[in-house]
Amino acid sequence: MIRFILLQNRQGKTRLSKWYVYYDDAEKVKLQNEVHRLIVCRDTKHTNFLEFRNYKIIYKRYAGLFFALCVDVSDNELTMLELIHLYVEVLDKYFGNVCELDIVFNFNKAYSIFDEMIVGGEIIETSKQVIINAVKNIELLD
Amino acid sequence: MFHLSQMDQIFLKSLADVVRTSRTTSQYDKLTFTTQTIADIKNEIQSRQESVRYQALLKLFFLAMEGNNIRWAEFQIINLMGSGDFQLKLGAQLAAHLVIDTQSQGLIMVTNVFQKEFKNGHVECSATLSCLGTIANKDLSDSLLPHVLKLTTNTKPLIRKKAIAVLSKIFTINPLNIPGNLEMVIQQLQKETNISVLACGISLFCSVMKVAPKLYPLFLSIVYDQISKQKSNWLLIKLVRISNKLISLEPRFQGKLIEHYTRLLNQTNSKSLQYELIYSIMKYFKNHSQLYESAGDILKQFLNHQDPNLRCLGLECLTHISSSAGLMEFQEQILESFKKSDYFSKLQILQLFKDFTNQQNFQTVIEFFIKYSDLESNHKIIESLIFIIMKDKFINVDDPEKLLLMYIPVIAQKIDTIDNAIRFKELLFELLTRVPGLKVYSDQLCNQILQTYAIQSDSLQGPTLNIVQRHTQLKYSLNHREIIFKSLIMIVGESVKLLKLEALTNIIKFLEQLNILNCYESSLSDIDSLLFKIYIQIIKTDPSNDLIPQIEQLIKNIYIKLHNISIVKISFFYESLILNKTKDQLDQLYNLYAEDLPPINLEAQKLIKPPEGLDITQSFQIDIEEIEKIKNSNNDQLEQKPIIQQLQQIESNQTEQEDQNTLIQKQEENEEELKPLNSKIDPIPKKVFTINRDEELPPGINQNDINKSKEEE
Repeated sequence: MIRFILLQNRQGKTRLSKWYVYYDDAEKVKLQNEVHRLIVCRDTKHTNFLEFRNYKIIYKRYAGLFFALCVDVSDNELTMLELIHLYVEVLDKYFGNVCELDIVFNFNKAYSIFDEMIVGGEIIETSKQVIINAVKNIELLD
Repeated sequence: MFHLSQMDQIFLKSLADVVRTSRTTSQYDKLTFTTQTIADIKNEIQSRQESVRYQALLKLFFLAMEGNNIRWAEFQIINLMGSGDFQLKLGAQLAAHLVIDTQSQGLIMVTNVFQKEFKNGHVECSATLSCLGTIANKDLSDSLLPHVLKLTTNTKPLIRKKAIAVLSKIFTINPLNIPGNLEMVIQQLQKETNISVLACGISLFCSVMKVAPKLYPLFLSIVYDQISKQKSNWLLIKLVRISNKLISLEPRFQGKLIEHYTRLLNQTNSKSLQYELIYSIMKYFKNHSQLYESAGDILKQFLNHQDPNLRCLGLECLTHISSSAGLMEFQEQILESFKKSDYFSKLQILQLFKDFTNQQNFQTVIEFFIKYSDLESNHKIIESLIFIIMKDKFINVDDPEKLLLMYIPVIAQKIDTIDNAIRFKELLFELLTRVPGLKVYSDQLCNQILQTYAIQSDSLQGPTLNIVQRHTQLKYSLNHREIIFKSLIMIVGESVKLLKLEALTNIIKFLEQLNILNCYESSLSDIDSLLFKIYIQIIKTDPSNDLIPQIEQLIKNIYIKLHNISIVKISFFYESLILNKTKDQLDQLYNLYAEDLPPINLEAQKLIKPPEGLDITQSFQIDIEEIEKIKNSNNDQLEQKPIIQQLQQIESNQTEQEDQNTLIQKQEENEEELKPLNSKIDPIPKKVFTINRDEELPPGINQNDINKSKEEE
């Protein structure tokens, strides 16, 4: 199960955060700082997963953004890496050559895409086309 | 609610305006900007115009992401979730998780809102389900359960998969909802063809098994059915994962899966599915050699892969090999992988070897890690090496002499932390206590390690351990080198009687170097007691030896240093020994230390001046009979001691003989296996050292050691 997802830039600013387990506000800020501190100093030759408290952080860097997932210890790391890549591909297809500013100004659309891929901390869809169709259906009603 | 005129709307800030202003505002003006924006939002969110409310909602969402508290807007957001406008509803549902938590009072209102939304079109229903999956608590789950169950039969796969995903959360929050409802869902899933819905169903089973594992028989048939026909890697990964849990509860299920696992392992190119399969096979299918071998081949590919992620995952799988024989198969790949790995992977590999090193690969492992330790991981490597050596009372060590003279000096050179220095000290003491006869090498060991200490005069560099001496309250700091230095000095002191004159001469020459006394001031009292023991030993054997004046001078230097830097008072006897040097005194002192001290020794009383006014013939205890009893019992013990010692010696000789015989047998058996791994070890050992692993030994010299050394002399 995914416990939370964070999108942070190199300066530690959180662009998107989605929490599937309850944490109070102070705890959320603390977690964001801790995760950023752990992943920002890692080299490319390090693995993309590391232990964090009683869970695992799986992260991937795209340009200036770090996509980090906190998952249970029993979850498959490679699946989570592929999920991150899928999300980036969906964003790219939806926004067309996506950059950080697209996420900053259209964060509600980014959250909608999250909701089409993950519900209650579980992955529900992995087909890029299905996800984009669902998001476009939502746009039609807007 | 108020209505904004067209003129007013022109001056309204949109989300984009707020974002741009926030990015360009300096840190000092941020608070003013935020306060102003929140005040505007509070007004705009009550507007009748939906576009205005929508922009206010988005701006509120943005401020929450910036770290501002928006819980005051809980009621407004819940209100917007029930709005007629879909855009507003969606925005409110996306923002809901920022203001609503499991303890929120507003959740009561959400129930009716959601019940209404579930009856709407599939897009609205889908958005509502996503929101429910994030904010569900116990009360909300219980009240909305019948509606969600109904949605699992919806014609749209989008609704069905989200409903099942929400169900898994509901069942986790309140497991009492499972009986009666789960069977219905399973029946629907058995007819299901959509892969996403099936995958959500498997996730539901995993969630149910966490809270109610005894329900596993319900899932067996559907999991087996799917694993035999599915081709989607993503679904197969989930199926393999749930199969692991089912196998642990129902071992007979394992037999059914062999054929399918073999097929999947041979056909798939997906690394994530391969990893999941290897993990499962390593853990549960050890008895099935063909499948295990195929998994082992793929595991070797993982260990040799360029991608550090795959190497790390390969090591993760290896933790499930329960025998060191199994690990030996992958030893080469693991050690190669160690050279390229990052710090965390190195720790993983060290942990593996901690668990699975045995006598056969002990030497290979030790030599490899000593060679490939680097600055970053050095302290962990040394810690692991010490652990491997000391494990189960040196069970991996078959040649203690080689360990002491070859490996331990190298390990000592590489120690750079206090923790490891303390561990090293414990290793030395344990090894020398458990292996009778090794103490004769203590001078060689000291020479190898301490020679570098004499050259480098950095006694207090690095982190230090601060100690307060109990009886003198003297405070001093030790770094890692000094801790090792102290322990070696103590070991040599304990072994003085076993060392030859030449060895003692070398030690004196070493201590005469000025650096030693200056750099290791905290160890002066240990050096002092070592010198004292050497002094006694030399006087006993050769009273006219040239070394004696050198030792006396050294002791004087130490005495001066101690007297200057602390309030330690050297005993009257010690002073008179140096100044007067009477042979009788020394003989009596030697006798004192030769045997165990009885609790009351009237002879010793003669040598120590009693304080003035104290009558030693008078008892300070009230009960004189008690003293007589102790005296008599000690006399009995002293009479019987020689007899007991003789018996003990006979027993120890017998056990030594038996050990030697078994050792020779084992050596013959292991000779062939050891050849390819270790060509350096002599086929015929010169001296057999046995390690005493029977019980915890007291520290200090063993009585048997002294008796044996006397016989040898």
